[in-house]
Amino acid sequence: MMTLFYLLGYLAVLGFICLAALKIRTYLKASPLHIRWELYPVPHEGPKKEAYGGSYMEEKNWWTHKRHVDHWEDIKAILVEVLCLHATYEHNPKLWIRTYPFHVGMYMLMGGTIILVCAVVLQLFGVDPEGGLMIFVANVINAVVLLGAFCIAGGGIALIIRRREDEGLKKYTTAEQYINLGSFVVFGVLTLCAWAFNPSYYQLARDFIYNLFTFNFQPLGSSWFVLNMLVGFFLMIAIPVTNMGHLIMKYFMYHDIRWGDEATIYSDKNKKIIDEMLQYQVTWSAPHIAGDGTPRNWVDVATTNPAAPKNDE
Amino acid sequence: MKDKLSLKDVSTVEGQMVSIDLKDLPELALDVKPMPWKPFTEEQKENTACILDDVCVLNIPKPKNPQEEEELVNKFLEGMRKLFSKENNWTCLPMLESSMENCVQCNSCSEACHLWEMSGKNEMYRPNYRSEIFRRIYHQYIKKEPFAKWRYGDIGLNWKTVARLGELAYRCNVCRRCAQTCPIGVDNGLIAREIRKLFSQELGIHPRELHEKGTMNQLKVGSSTGMTPEVVRENVEFIDEDYSEITGVGITTPFDVKGADIMLLHNAGEIMAWPENIAAFSLIFQEAGLSWTLSSKAVAYDGVNYGVFYDDAQLARIALDHMLAAKELGVKKVVVGECGHANKALTVLADRVIPYEYQVPRESCYVTLRDIILAGRLKLDPSRNDFPVTLHDPCNVVRLMGIVKPQRDILHKIAPKFREMPCHGVHNYCCGGGSGFAIMTRNNIDEWRGNISGRKKLWQIGEAFKECLGPETKKYICAPCSNCKGQIRELLEHNDLYSKNSFAYGGLVELIVNAMSNVQPGFIKWEGDE
Repeated sequence: MMTLFYLLGYLAVLGFICLAALKIRTYLKASPLHIRWELYPVPHEGPKKEAYGGSYMEEKNWWTHKRHVDHWEDIKAILVEVLCLHATYEHNPKLWIRTYPFHVGMYMLMGGTIILVCAVVLQLFGVDPEGGLMIFVANVINAVVLLGAFCIAGGGIALIIRRREDEGLKKYTTAEQYINLGSFVVFGVLTLCAWAFNPSYYQLARDFIYNLFTFNFQPLGSSWFVLNMLVGFFLMIAIPVTNMGHLIMKYFMYHDIRWGDEATIYSDKNKKIIDEMLQYQVTWSAPHIAGDGTPRNWVDVATTNPAAPKNDE
Repeated sequence: MKDKLSLKDVSTVEGQMVSIDLKDLPELALDVKPMPWKPFTEEQKENTACILDDVCVLNIPKPKNPQEEEELVNKFLEGMRKLFSKENNWTCLPMLESSMENCVQCNSCSEACHLWEMSGKNEMYRPNYRSEIFRRIYHQYIKKEPFAKWRYGDIGLNWKTVARLGELAYRCNVCRRCAQTCPIGVDNGLIAREIRKLFSQELGIHPRELHEKGTMNQLKVGSSTGMTPEVVRENVEFIDEDYSEITGVGITTPFDVKGADIMLLHNAGEIMAWPENIAAFSLIFQEAGLSWTLSSKAVAYDGVNYGVFYDDAQLARIALDHMLAAKELGVKKVVVGECGHANKALTVLADRVIPYEYQVPRESCYVTLRDIILAGRLKLDPSRNDFPVTLHDPCNVVRLMGIVKPQRDILHKIAPKFREMPCHGVHNYCCGGGSGFAIMTRNNIDEWRGNISGRKKLWQIGEAFKECLGPETKKYICAPCSNCKGQIRELLEHNDLYSKNSFAYGGLVELIVNAMSNVQPGFIKWEGDE
């Protein structure tokens, strides 16, 4: 039975990585280059322009200037957005007070997991698991897990209530969203139970990860923790295949679309790609495009005048 | 009609689904009267799918039998499949798919939408209402995902769903203010445009003002106004003569000057409706000593590109013609006049549609004008503009291109009583005529623009001038965009706000010319002026 549990653990990690990679690949493969669809403010224009939403197109003969992209501003903006949920805070404060603890709880548990993995790696390299460093890590993890799980469970319940009580939200919330939120609440509660009914959550989690690393499928001695992890495995698979995948896609939706303002003049790569894409075959059926059934590509379409007098007229 | 609208109603309700009660419209500081909805005629009800609300944009023929109903649904699904294919929709597919897959239904977008707010928060106007119907169809009928009905919510797909979804795509100004507020980056404006595209490019269904009278007319005779090259040249000559007399400065608008630095691209609607704008540009460019020209080549004397609003093929064709004309003249750059969508079409959208070797650099006229003013190329007397002025920000140039400061730099220089509207700059509201509505007036569309889509703009105008409302003080609404001006004109005219509030509206160039000290005073006219 324990072997199955560990196998599910491997599957969850592998599944998450593969599904997340697939999601990103699908996005990147959807089109080699989409049209520009930026929305201002764009942070990489720099703090001065970002403050009021300005762009490089405000400059006279902008194409003669060297393009300046302030990547640090992009990073800062996405960090503020991800860590503070700034857009929700600004535009939907009633939701923010519920969703912020929920997200912070997740960040804490994700951060805790990364620290744990590092601790296990150090242990594998011979660091004493009972030494001062590891005791410090243990205390941090136990504190983070308690607080994080409480935030997830509390925030999740508050979000479910909000979605049930707000008439606008209620209409749009699907069964899957309730299942997702409910799963997080169960996950948070099980984390709290595993934390409360065992001497050290850190030790359980560390042993579990250590065993995963060393293919040692030993029992962990806590049913609460096993249940906790099983729900965690489910969530790892659910995140990339549901709208929770925004966790992964937000980067692209901000950097590539909302802030994707690179003019073709600045990109030799894009200059080539445009020519390639214009060779795609068009099958739209409306009369003004390819309605006569003649195969044609985008160049043919763009250079055909559907309003020109017909030859036989 | 439904009091409490649900998503499923789009496929189940018989007849007109929604009616906006005019009593629900929010009150405004300005004296504005709602325009009663005109009932559809029996003939319309019988033959046309006017089944969404009090407005009918697309005039989709009502299917006469189950076969026609099925045909409409099948064609729609076929179009939807193409919309989600790289070959047919490389331009927008990544944006569309990510907006389909990642919305968490938080409704943060609702509060940002002027249509939702000004319809009295009617459910149908929630930006996500249309998107969510489309999303459910996508999961259930296109991707055919397992348990789609349960996971994403069920939606019935029949001819009523299709017809209403088409209409719903035209209950959005595509101003993308909602997208700006989305924590994830989902874009309801994009989804509305993609649905419009599907209807146009697959089903051949489009508003006649945008297609037959718009892009097709432009491709046929040269301009959506119907003006041929000869007529344009004649009209501009008349404008030069008239305004030479009015301003006391001889104006000559150059055409087809090979090797000029600038090809100026006007919205040709200005030539017919606002000749003072054409004259003002010519006067400013002439007095500033620029090397510039207009093109008299068909299509290239009209910066309008309605493809932006509904159709990628038409967008590309018109943008290509604009670029080729500029190439032919050998100009260094195209300066796009006071037309928001023309700026975005040619500068931003065409940038990855037209092969680079056919491209000519493009610049917004706001930037060119700012350079002229700040370089001191004109003799200006700002005291001539000693009246309150406020600025409308066209969404296409401001939120969608980030051109915010140049027009303000000009106003700070020439308009001593300039004041911002509330929610200005990239947080502005659409004038209500955006995405093609400014040129539509039938089937209650003008009532809709007055009652709902333009209402927030009236609120902004009222707030900007709140300490000087009334007929005593002359006030100027600076709207440097042709379509926005058209919409503001309708809003003011319908409510008689010219006389009740001494409003005048116009572009940026008119205000500049009004301040030019070598021009006869009084270029801008208010009601009652000689």
